[in-house]
Order: sequence, then structure tokens, then C-alpha cells
Amino acid sequence: MCRILLRAPRSSPLMNILMVLGLLGGAAFDANALSPTAQVGKMLFFDTSLSASGKMSCATCHDPAHHYAPANSLAVQLGGPNLNQPGTRAVPSLNYKDYTPPYADLADNPDGVSAPGPGGGFTQDGRAPTLAAQTQIPLLSFNEMANAGMADVVNKIQNASYAGLFQQIFGSTVFGDVPTAFASAQAALQAYQLEDTSFHPYTSKFDLYDSNKIGGDLTASEARGLAVFMDPNRGNCFACHYSGAGANGSVALFTDFSYEAIGVPRNTTDIPANRLVNGLPVSFDMGICSRPDHPRPASAQYCGMFKTPTLRNVATRSVFFHNGQIKSLKDALRFYNTRDTNPELWYPTVNGVVQKFNDLPAMYRNNIDTQVPLDGRAAGSQPPMSDQDLADLEAFLNTLTDGYQPPQ
Amino acid sequence: MKKIPCASARNVFRSSALSAAVASALLLSYSGIASSATMTVKGVVAGSYFMPPVNSDNPSSAHASSTMASVYQSVKVCVDLNDNAACDSGEPFVMTKSDGSFLLASKTSGPLAAEISTASTNGGHVVTQRNVFRVAADQIAAVTTSPLVPANIAVTPLSTEAVRMMEDGEGNFYTVRQNLASRLGVTTDQVLSDPNTIADPVAKSAVLEESVILTNRFGFAAKMADRGDVASVPAAQQTAMNIEGIPRYDNIFIIMLENKATSSIKGSVYAPKINGWLNAGNQFVSYFATGNPSEPNYTALGGADDFGITDDNQWNCGATGANALQDLVIPTNSVPGLGSSPFTNPCNQATNHNIVGKSNLFNALTSNGMTWRTYSESMNPGQDFRTDSVGDPGVYALDNVYPPGTLGNNASQIGNPALQLPLPASLYKTKHHPGMAYQNVRSAVEFSTSNRTLGGGQWDAVLLSSTKYTPPANYNIDQFSSDLQSGDVGHLNFLVPDQCDDMHGITLQGKVNGVGSNVTASDCTGSANITRGDNYTDNVIKKIQASPLWNNPNKRVAIVIMFDEGTATAGFNSCCGWNSDKASTPVVVNPLKQNPDGSFSPDTSIVGYQSGNRGHGESVFGVLTNQPNAPKGIVDSDYYSHFSFVRTLQDMFGLSDPAAPGSYMNRSKYTESFIAANILNLPEFQGSADTHFDSVRPMNHAYVFPAGTTHKQSTDVTGSPQVGPDATQTNLWSLK
Repeated sequence: MCRILLRAPRSSPLMNILMVLGLLGGAAFDANALSPTAQVGKMLFFDTSLSASGKMSCATCHDPAHHYAPANSLAVQLGGPNLNQPGTRAVPSLNYKDYTPPYADLADNPDGVSAPGPGGGFTQDGRAPTLAAQTQIPLLSFNEMANAGMADVVNKIQNASYAGLFQQIFGSTVFGDVPTAFASAQAALQAYQLEDTSFHPYTSKFDLYDSNKIGGDLTASEARGLAVFMDPNRGNCFACHYSGAGANGSVALFTDFSYEAIGVPRNTTDIPANRLVNGLPVSFDMGICSRPDHPRPASAQYCGMFKTPTLRNVATRSVFFHNGQIKSLKDALRFYNTRDTNPELWYPTVNGVVQKFNDLPAMYRNNIDTQVPLDGRAAGSQPPMSDQDLADLEAFLNTLTDGYQPPQ
Repeated sequence: MKKIPCASARNVFRSSALSAAVASALLLSYSGIASSATMTVKGVVAGSYFMPPVNSDNPSSAHASSTMASVYQSVKVCVDLNDNAACDSGEPFVMTKSDGSFLLASKTSGPLAAEISTASTNGGHVVTQRNVFRVAADQIAAVTTSPLVPANIAVTPLSTEAVRMMEDGEGNFYTVRQNLASRLGVTTDQVLSDPNTIADPVAKSAVLEESVILTNRFGFAAKMADRGDVASVPAAQQTAMNIEGIPRYDNIFIIMLENKATSSIKGSVYAPKINGWLNAGNQFVSYFATGNPSEPNYTALGGADDFGITDDNQWNCGATGANALQDLVIPTNSVPGLGSSPFTNPCNQATNHNIVGKSNLFNALTSNGMTWRTYSESMNPGQDFRTDSVGDPGVYALDNVYPPGTLGNNASQIGNPALQLPLPASLYKTKHHPGMAYQNVRSAVEFSTSNRTLGGGQWDAVLLSSTKYTPPANYNIDQFSSDLQSGDVGHLNFLVPDQCDDMHGITLQGKVNGVGSNVTASDCTGSANITRGDNYTDNVIKKIQASPLWNNPNKRVAIVIMFDEGTATAGFNSCCGWNSDKASTPVVVNPLKQNPDGSFSPDTSIVGYQSGNRGHGESVFGVLTNQPNAPKGIVDSDYYSHFSFVRTLQDMFGLSDPAAPGSYMNRSKYTESFIAANILNLPEFQGSADTHFDSVRPMNHAYVFPAGTTHKQSTDVTGSPQVGPDATQTNLWSLK
């Protein structure tokens, strides 16, 4: 409705030129040529030989056809030599990771207002400082690509069709030194993810909207959903899923890289380590304080905290949160809305008592975030969002899906 | 009086050209000269010859600008019987001699016109831009004692200005001569005399400074008239004082505040005084930042681009190759006298922070005979301007105390009068200097004398006691107040409070009575910091308004209250020349460079440019003027950004030519028509849903929102967006 705010009549030559060029613009500026390093990274990314099973590549779980998230709806993916070992956590998307800073306990918040706190880093607990470092985890984990070690990976690269190209870029003697060769592969994977536009395409309807482009007019429901998203007393989503201007020129990443403990219910069915023994948990995945470099009790204040993911392409996901316990976007929104008002919907009831926060030991529950909508309001009280709000919010989140084509 | 409204000047002069007889009759009757009287003038065509500064860090090649009183040779001087600022056939004329003199006799009296052509010389230098100087018939009459004795007349830029002022309806000859003299602080005799003959050096300097400015303005008028932009030279001389609808101002004071959304200030109980000023003056209510965080915004305010800077890092970061530092001395702590400097060199970064060879307001002003100042608060006496200020635990100030009712309606006192706050580091930050990133500004000959101190800080009383640097002799902690009294302010003045007074906020702690544990100061963070900035801003405004400058109505003076950026958390981050392309790859967004044939093409040499100019929301923007008859209490809701403001300042000081887009610096040239003409090289504007929103314009309130259109706004503005046009379309910069 705003697109005709023009001094010139709508049919002016200027407008026509801009509109036509706008429709053609993408092709005219398609200069997405990858550097040689990134080209090798691309080959590594899709190479199934880099796994013990011989069937798993990075792209198996980070499927480019699914915004670099899994194609299936499993809470955790199956890996290992025989592709039967359940993963540790739900697989995050590799979309929009290019601006993520390394982890810091006192990271500056990109909103420029919030107090510094835990933020940044890769994986859901931030243990990998860079995209390159992160690659070691899936390559070597027993329940993922399950390579025996760096030498195993390097050996497989040396036997790959692109080994010659690898040497061209990193030196003819690169395979002579395993750590160097492995680090080179990691750098190539990072370069691919940084350079290839498909990892951060900014082609959603929301991008058309906030970039003032043709086709970006939000529907009434989407606009109301944006208002819910921004309302500190209803969705308050923007408080963590920050959508403003951030560091290094980033805009609308829908995450501030911060960590929060929100008490996601325990997934006892999909993750072996979460299974109960005699009705009791044996271990807990507590995010930051499960990291080797953040041991308890020194890091007790970080227990239960997981990284805020971007909400871009969130509507295309089928599992949510670090453990995949929530299986739909609708339910994810309902969880935020009713975790406190109706905890029985989300946590098991044992002997008539709702086991709220059943995946975080009681001693760490002070870490639970208290911001709206998870503000700890009493069971039975009014949820922060109405059913209409939830429907509108879901409509808005659907505008964050890349590849949007405006109706012609 | 005959008044020429600028907006319709073209039509007025077209019709007068069609009925010249009627027009000249009107002119002659108003000038009160009987056309039958004879007239003899013995005069000189005189003015100024200006040599722009040569900026270099090599002392042997750098020199300041200079201005000499001059005379014009080979100028055609005529009795301009029809007062059209042209020597028409039949009008008596002579050519000036080598000493600029002429003797002109006419059977019919009238005003004079002097046609300065490219065959003329000025002080012996070939004139490159045609110009027309004028003298009112009344000026000649005023010095005519007898028809037999030639009248002594100097045809100068200032005599021309007197004619223009009369034609603008500012009064009769005697009134405008007095007003012009009062504007410059000289006598009525001095103001219209040959500058070569003014003995008093202060008066001569004032006349010459104005002469340089007017020579440029009237030269531009002749250019516009010759191009046919404006129908006649007299009309063009009005337009030249009102380029793109922005009136000429003598001085502007821009108060820079930090990081507040419109919604954080407008109506806030923490900012009652700023709200008072906003309501008392005029407001731009859709004003967008162009970058995030501070440094790109200040850099954009200095030259309408951030050149890909997206952080607050030092100006030497990434400065390699063609961008290598040219500063003769890098202000690290190894430099004698700078032992406390926090500046580190080198600074490795991909994105260059040292902008080399790009146009900016500072160089443009000095190249046109004008001056700039940045007045910065809480610098360490003796520090280098190019470094951040440092802390000193050896000196302290007491906490600011707010009695009940003085801070957000506080019920009880806020602040502890016994809390001792040691001088903190980083009160002064180079990231908040609009010229710092530009090599040509740091290298400018006037750099060291144009960066001055701004008083009113919490630590003013103890700054000189700090031992971090050796204060220069006679160091003035508040040069701004002194300059306001003496008049030695710049044409363009950025007033940059320290990071507590500008609402930015820093960690500021001390100990009660100097002992015990650390206690946080009352007002350098949070909402209290808004009130602190509110009080500071109010004090600065009152100080300016108490100055002789402000109270001289013949000086046109404006104050701007603005913020570098908002805090927008969703939606439209910027407008008006912004970069709406979010992608980091592939790199497609580049600045444009002008080719020798006048066309524009992408300049792909700037690493990281793609990430810049993406904006950061909306903030309040208030304008106060000292003109008693200027409109007040009006609101302009059209979209403007820092680029629009820089364009406005270029118009205000006559630095650019609207017919030549390339004469506007960097992204300030991105008007709707320019973008359309260069859309293939400006991918960030392709597919625009609203080309008006995306493009730059001067802040002249010319655009009328069509009825029914809903304004775009960021989340920094609360409430429903405006629908349709503003209540008034009055230009907020109007002088009357």
C-alpha cells in the first residue's frame, strides 16, 4: 500500500524503469563467483566419503534444499559408521552464521543497549569460536561423521577427486602435515559458507518489506504479528531474536547471539543420554556449563543456557530447541505462551505434581530467564498472547522464509 | 517594496522581461531617481581574490587560504537603465582600466551593472566564472553632491548584495546598507567601499570574507542565468541565496547527541528541556541515521558516506596502500609530549578507516572561503585531537546531585554530593568527530586551530590539574564561550559534548569521600543520563542565545539539536540514500566515481563498502533560528537522513550546483533523478517500492505527501504513522 508514495505519477518513466530493473536486478548483479578456497570448501561440504559410513556429508544434515537444516523431522539425526547412532542435539541450520562472533561470557549485545552477557560462538553452547573450528565436531564425533581422527579425514581428502585442487591452493606439501591439512580443510569449509550467497540469501518477504522493495507489503495478519513480535508485553521476541542493526553492518539477523535458560522440557525419547533410569535422569545437557571450558561449579550461573538461534527460515523447521523436543512452530509458540500458565501441557506430571523445568536440576533454576513471555507468571493466569496473537505471530514468522516470490 | 518570492522568481522575471517598460517604470519609481537626471560616476570595480588552502602534512607545501583585496580589469560597467543586471545595447558603458577604475557619464541616471567576463581579470588573475556586480541608483544618489562632481562608487560584491537585499524586500537602500554593515560589524562607509581602501584591518577582513562568499554566490547566479535555469540575473541572485530552497545562513551550530530513538526523547519526562526547545522551534520528525554505530554516522555527517565503516575503530585501522596514513606525526605515546596517548599504530583490519581523497564539508568550506569548528568537551589539555581522552585517578569531580523534581519527577534526591569521581577515560572520543576519518581534514592547515574546546563539563575545574599531559600556555577550557563573545566561531560548528553529557553513557564510578567500595555516578547511564544530556543541551542553547552573534538579527544563525542514531530494532533502519542491501556476498554495492566525460561508474576499490550505510533508526531533529520573523512550531514529516542534512548544508553554504549532481559529495547526490539515471550501477536501489523514501533531497519541505498515503516509520517512533500531507508545507529553515 505504500509503494506509490511518489511525486511522479505512478506510470512515470522513472517508476517504470525502477520497477523493471528491480525485477531484473538479481541477474544483472549475479557475481557469486567463489574463491578457489571456497570452491574446495564446497566439494568438501558435499563429499560423503568424509565419513565412516561413506554416506554422510555436511550436506546430509545441513541440506541446502532445506535452508541448510535437516530434510527430515527427526529430533536428532542418525550418524556413526552404520548411521544408527542418534545425535547429541537437534541439528541447527547453517544459515546466517556469517556475522556470529566468537563466544564470550561478557559479549557486547548487538542492540547496543542490553548489558553484556554470554553470547556468540558456534554450536548451541558456543564452544567453537569460528565456523572453521566448528567443522571438527561433526567430522570427528562418533555419532556423526565418525572419522577416526584428523589423519583419517586428511587421508580421505588426499584420495578425493579434488586433492589436486586442494594442493594447488594450500601447497603441494599440504598433505605432509596432518594438522595443517586438516586446518586447511576447515578454512575451506568456512570460506564456502561465508562466500556462497545461499548460506545468507536475504530473499524473504520480510527482506523485501524492510528494504523497501516491491512485493514487501505485509498482510494485515503479518503486520499484526510483527507488532506482537516487537511488543514487550506480548511476544517480546525481539529482546533476544534481535532484528535491528547489529555489529559489522549486520541487519535483521533475528538473533543477538545471546544465551538464555528457558527450561525446554527434557526429550527422553529421541536422545539416548536423556533416557530415564528407574524414572530418574542420569545426566543433563545444560548448554554452556556442559562445555569442558565452563565446568561447574565455577560456571554454575551459565547452566541451562543455550544459544538464541536466528529465526530466519524458522517456519521451515520441524524440530525446535536444542533437543528437538518441540515438533512444530505452532507448538514452539504455544510453549512460550503457556510454559508458565499451563506447565502441565509441557512437562510430565508425576504423582500429581507437574515436573516443571525437568531438564535442569533445581539448583540451577535461578538461571531461568524471566523476560516476557517467559516471565514466570502463575499457573492458571492469563497467557501473554491471545490465540489471534499466536496466529499472527506465526504468519509473521512465515515472512522470514527465504526464496519468497511476490505474486506477479 | 518590490519583493521577489524565490519560489516564483522565475515567473516574476519572465513576465517583467515581457513587459520591460512596465518593470523598469516600477523599478525606477521605487528607487526614487528621476530618469531625466544626468549622472557621472567615477568608480572602481573591486572585490577580493581568494586562494584556497593547500592541505598537506608536508609543512613546506601546505599553506592556508588567503584573500587579497582586488580590483577587476576589463569589466564592462554600464548604466543599467532597465535594471536587468546586463549591459544592453544603448545603455552607456565603459571598460575598467588596469587599476579597476572607470569614469562613466550618462544623460540618464540609474543603477550600475558591471559585467565581469572571462576576458576580465581579478587582481591580475583570469576570471573563470562570469559574474555581474551591481550598484543601486540610491547608492549613487547618496554620494552625489552635485551633478557636476562625479560620484565616487565602488562596484563590489557587497554593493551587489545591497541591491539584492532591496529587491528581496528587506528595505530601502539606507536600511539594507545599515543591515549589511551590522551583519559584518563594520561601518556603513566601510561596507560599500573599495576593500583596498579600508584601513581598519578587522573591518577589512570582515568585508573581504563576505566578499569571497558573495563573489561565489553571484558567480553561481550568473551561471544559472546563463544556463537558463533562472530567467534573469536579478532573479538568479535571489536563487543563489536560496539554493534548492535552503536559505543562506551565516552560522550553524549542530549539537550532537547520542543513540536515542525518537520515542526515548519525544515526550520523555527525562528530557523536558529538549522537548521544550523542539516545540518552540521546528522539527523534522522522520529523520534517519545512516550507519551503526557512532563512527559511520559521524563520518556520514562529515561527507555523506561511511565508506563501509561499521565500527568505532581508530582512524588508522586498515589504512594501507592507497589509504596509507599521510599524517606527518602519528600520535602514539612515543611522540614527545604524548606519553599518555592511548593511540596504537598500526591497526590491522580489512575495512579501511582512513578516507583518502574524498570530498567532505570541511574541505569544501575552506575551499570556498568559509570556516568550520568542532567544539569538543572534556579533552585532556595538551592531548592530540586525534586521540581519545584518557582518565586520571589523580583528579576528581563530585557526583551530580538532582534534588526532588529535577530528574524524571524524582521524589527524593538522586546523587551523592560526597561521591568523588576520578576523571574517566574516553570522555572525548575521535569516533565522535565528523571529520576525523578524512585524511584531507586531518591534514588540513586549519585542523589544529579549528578543533576547539567546549566547556560545561563535570571535570572542567580539574582538567588543568591532571598530569597526563602538559597543558599549553593559556589553555582555555571553554573556547566555545570565548568564541561566542568574540564572534570567532565557524560558519559550520559541530558541538560535541563528552560521553556523559551527550547521553552516550560510560561506566563512571568513584568512592564516597574517596574511600570504600566503588559507587556508580548518578547520571552517566540509564534514564538519568538522558536528563544529564537534556540539561547540558539546554545550557549550550542558552549560551548561544545569549551571545552577541545570536542577538544580531542581521546574522542568520541556526541551532540544530540532533542525535547520531536511533535504536531501531525492526523495520526501516534508514532512508534517503541508504544501503538496503543486507547481503555480505556477492559484493555489488559500491560508491560511484565520476568519469572525465561526466558519467558515473562503480568505484570498486573500497573494501567492505557493501556493509556500510545501512542505518540505525530515527531520532528527533530540532531547528532553532535567531530570525525574529522566521516561522516556528512547524513540523516537516518528509524523509531525511544524514545524507539529506549534508546536502542541505552544501546548499546552505553554497558549495554545490543542483544542476551538476557530481558537485554534491558522495551519497548526498543520490536524488530520485540521479538514482534513476544510474540505476544499473546502484543495485541497492533496484526494485524500490517507494523511490521517494529511498532517495536524497534537501530538507526543504518541498515534497507534499499525497492524501491517503501512510508514512513509513521505524520502530523508533511510536504511535500510528501519519497519513497524508503535513499541516503546513512551510520550509523549516525559512528566514521569514
